[in-house]
Amino acid sequence: RRKALNLFFVDSDLSSSKMSVRVLNPNAEVLNKTAALHMTINAAKGLQDVLKSNLGPKGTIKMLVGGSGDIKLTKDGNTLLKEMQIQNPTAIMIARTAVAQDDISGDGTTSTVIFIGELMKQSERCIDEGMHPRVLVDGFEIAKRATLQFLDTFKTPVVMGDEPDKEILKMVARTTLRTKLYEGLADQLTDIVVNSVLCIRKPEEPIDLFMVEIMHMRHKFDVDTRLVEGLVLDHGSRHPDMKRRAENCHILTCNVSLEYEKSEINAGFFYSNAEQREAMVTAERRSVDERVKKIIELKNKVCAGNDNSFVIINQKGIDPPSLDLLAREGIIALRRAKRRNMERLVLACGGEAVNSVDDLTPDSLGWAGLVYEHVLGEEKYTFVEQVKNPHSCTILIKGPNDHTIAQIKDAVRDGLRSVKNTLEDECVVLGAGAFEVAARQHLINEVKKTVKGRAQLGVEAFANALLVVPKTLAENAGLDTQDVIISLTSEHDKGNVVGVSLVDGEPIDPQLAGIFDNYSVKRQLINSGPVIASQLLLVDEVIRAGRNMRKPT
Amino acid sequence: MREIVTIQVGELANFVGSHFWNFQDELLGLASDPESDPIFRNNNLNMDVLYRSGETQQGVSTYTPRLLSINFKGSLGSMSSHGTLYNQGSSSRSDSSKTWFGDVDTQRSEPRKRNLFQQTLYEEEAQAEIEDKDIVGSLEETVECWTDFSKSHYRPQTLYELNGLWMDSQDFNNYGAGKDLFSEASRGEEICDKLRFFVEECDHIQGVNFLVDDSGGFSPLAGDFLETMADDYTNVPVLLYSLRSPVAQKKTVINKLHDAVSFSRLSSFCKLFTPIGLPSLRGMKYLNLGDEKPYRSSAVYAAALHSSTLPFRMQHTSSDSTQESNAMDVNTLVQLLTNRGRQNIVAILDSAMPAPTLAAKQLEKTLLTNLQALTPEVAEDVEDNQSVESMCILGALRSEDQEATVSEVRNAVDASYDEQSRPLFCNLSVSRVPLPVPLPFPSIFGNLVGRRGEILSSPASDLMCRGSLDVHSVPVATRWRSSSAVLPFLESRMVNLEKLGIQWGAVGSDVVRTWGFGREELQEMRENLAKMVSELSPHQFLESSDSD
Repeated sequence: RRKALNLFFVDSDLSSSKMSVRVLNPNAEVLNKTAALHMTINAAKGLQDVLKSNLGPKGTIKMLVGGSGDIKLTKDGNTLLKEMQIQNPTAIMIARTAVAQDDISGDGTTSTVIFIGELMKQSERCIDEGMHPRVLVDGFEIAKRATLQFLDTFKTPVVMGDEPDKEILKMVARTTLRTKLYEGLADQLTDIVVNSVLCIRKPEEPIDLFMVEIMHMRHKFDVDTRLVEGLVLDHGSRHPDMKRRAENCHILTCNVSLEYEKSEINAGFFYSNAEQREAMVTAERRSVDERVKKIIELKNKVCAGNDNSFVIINQKGIDPPSLDLLAREGIIALRRAKRRNMERLVLACGGEAVNSVDDLTPDSLGWAGLVYEHVLGEEKYTFVEQVKNPHSCTILIKGPNDHTIAQIKDAVRDGLRSVKNTLEDECVVLGAGAFEVAARQHLINEVKKTVKGRAQLGVEAFANALLVVPKTLAENAGLDTQDVIISLTSEHDKGNVVGVSLVDGEPIDPQLAGIFDNYSVKRQLINSGPVIASQLLLVDEVIRAGRNMRKPT
Repeated sequence: MREIVTIQVGELANFVGSHFWNFQDELLGLASDPESDPIFRNNNLNMDVLYRSGETQQGVSTYTPRLLSINFKGSLGSMSSHGTLYNQGSSSRSDSSKTWFGDVDTQRSEPRKRNLFQQTLYEEEAQAEIEDKDIVGSLEETVECWTDFSKSHYRPQTLYELNGLWMDSQDFNNYGAGKDLFSEASRGEEICDKLRFFVEECDHIQGVNFLVDDSGGFSPLAGDFLETMADDYTNVPVLLYSLRSPVAQKKTVINKLHDAVSFSRLSSFCKLFTPIGLPSLRGMKYLNLGDEKPYRSSAVYAAALHSSTLPFRMQHTSSDSTQESNAMDVNTLVQLLTNRGRQNIVAILDSAMPAPTLAAKQLEKTLLTNLQALTPEVAEDVEDNQSVESMCILGALRSEDQEATVSEVRNAVDASYDEQSRPLFCNLSVSRVPLPVPLPFPSIFGNLVGRRGEILSSPASDLMCRGSLDVHSVPVATRWRSSSAVLPFLESRMVNLEKLGIQWGAVGSDVVRTWGFGREELQEMRENLAKMVSELSPHQFLESSDSD
């Protein structure tokens, strides 16, 4: 038989003696095959239990209260996993896969965990009946390939040319957002999310979601969250005489140090007298002033004969003497801008990011109709708005407290990813469990027959595991899961592609209800779930040295 | 104003930092207390270098450290991750903040109980009957987290917890464990955002104090962070302190490789690298230290950190005042130690706490002989006429009950150098302000240490350990040394990297590969280490004269 996998959980200090010593370590604890498998399956089920109630628009939100009284509210599997202290090695493997799912496709963390959990549950049944895990795993592999093929025939293509179908984008975004936020807020954010992705989208280029800045203010209410066409920066000018509001602004985006720095050569020099020191300082200062003057020259050039304003947003520092000079000329200056904002500013306002004052030309300047500062306690925000033809924008999240903001932020991130995925996939998948039921029926009715021998049972286990999604959706909505599954499968057998309505448990057409999922999320899920489940099933022995697995503490 | 931003990464770094900020908090308190010693009231230190003023949304003004602390999730103990000032009102969950109308499943962790000391801080006067004696006693018994004995306030931007690690802290003991931490899950971005908050408001930042417990997975995190910082804040000098707790120093193959790799990587992003952490602290003079409790060992390191960085905060005055002398900024120190003759960025930190009284010459208790290295793997009795030193002496005493003046301290140091070979260059900074011993300071002083940190001729009590109730302040002397005495430290790293990681068939070659280092990178590291070694080697001078 093929070499089975061992899972080693070994204390990582590899002593200078050889590897084999570790395996023979008398303190190492060895669990045999059956015990190892059951430990693994239980861990997978345990993690599934924790996350199950999150799934879907009827799931429960989790409020985590930390030991020091900190509150975290989340409905996002990804956030929840990261908040958990997971110790069990199997659970860690599953959690890592689920988090990777989120990194790659932007959603589907909870689904991944419950799918893997369900695959393990179905396998347990077969193994208890005497089946060898290897055979099951072979069945999984066949079923996985068949399901991926089926997904490609099942998906709904959408055309995303120069004028993408905004309605379908909204439906996908809404489907995601409604699983994270209450309907009213979800629907409000749907438009924001879709518009912001369309704003940053450029023909023939991959969508870079970082060009949507997500800024938050602890202020007012969640419904005050809005899309700013332009940029919001989390800092303001550092000079009392600079204007707090300006119209018709030339924007200089630059990465030029406007602060006095002792140059390396002179710093170690110990001045023999005060005059000498003074002279050195003056010389250093002069070169900074030169740079500031060049900027002022440009300002005078473009603002001559009009009442336009001039705004500098610099990635490097600007020290008080430089600020003084600039303020005297009526220039607004911000220092230490985020590196990513250099890129965003140029995309929002036009012009280019300047790295040296020698490159200054009027063409390098961007434009904003309005720049103003908003102060909240000690926090300052600078709004750069009324820009022409922006390719970068800001989603400004407002909420009365940190945990509300954090939750909206998570939801917005997922929403953005779902829109990006749709634009890039150029297709969507019918939601509300419709795909899972259809795929299950396909596997049972078509694929299983073509498989020889006991691997059939693996295909069947896989097929049944797919049903965990509609089952959990129904369960979380307080419906009878048996009834729901029976009515769904019989509709599908009649040739009607339906999902479950979480209002009354009746079959609905997801197309009409506007419930769509991302193709890439589903694809990733079907790909990674069985891989991890197979690895876990083929664990033969669990060996752990160094620490006792059943710690008394 | 020349601001300093402090960064603390890892468990021990935060323990040291917690003591360090307690000293500062104590100094601030003493400076504004009309009943305290005039030396503290007119301390002539500019605390704005380390602190920032702000106000909460409720309009309460705040004065908090310019600090970023990074540590494991859960390491904040009973302190909220929003700090201690800015979270009023956030815990009340009003209906307007509801984002979900469905069911709520609440999972409540066992509340972390505040220890006696924290209770007195939070409840102010309410429980006046708690006695200081009980507090000191309970701290010795119960400290688990650095927040347990911290009396300073922190901002929300200061605290960063790593979540989603899913590993025991004992598995987090090598470079591989933290390899992708910084880049994963936008942690790096969040960390950089927090740092930017502090740097943006600095008018003219003079440097960054970077404390890192680089014995495990925090090393790659710090490395990646420093690399990003080097891009964002190119000309801001970083002083790096690599801190090791005594218990973390078992030397397996992995540890040796880790040390070599960690040092190579971190030292390439800083201007001055100071390794701190002896294999055992039991030999420290006048102190009673075990090696087990980080609460105790970190106090010694924190005192040295406080003393060695004090010149950065002295008010620049045109002539030396009577309070202190020789203020320095970070860049001057760096140039002094690393750029005079030899290019060596690894400095040894020596400390004497308490520093002996100037008059006590009879037992060879001169300042110099009392300095003990806190840097591990340092050669003793090395004659290095090329060495460069920067010394800082705080609150030295002339005799048992009298403070020495600045010029007396200068003369004493001068005199003690007459008995030893002089370094090539020595800078001396002096402040008359001794180290105040705050209430939550551990009882680590031996029974020969008096109330003002003077060395007594006979034991003051039968108790072996004296703490903040008996000792109110101590004079401290620290010295930074750029000397060939650090060669064993460098050579062991070079040799280990070669023998265990690079050589054909080396035991650890697979390990370093899983840590993400290719062959060429390792060879480059080795060459850099070799360069550092040859720069300091006494033979190097001969070789070059041969070639002439």
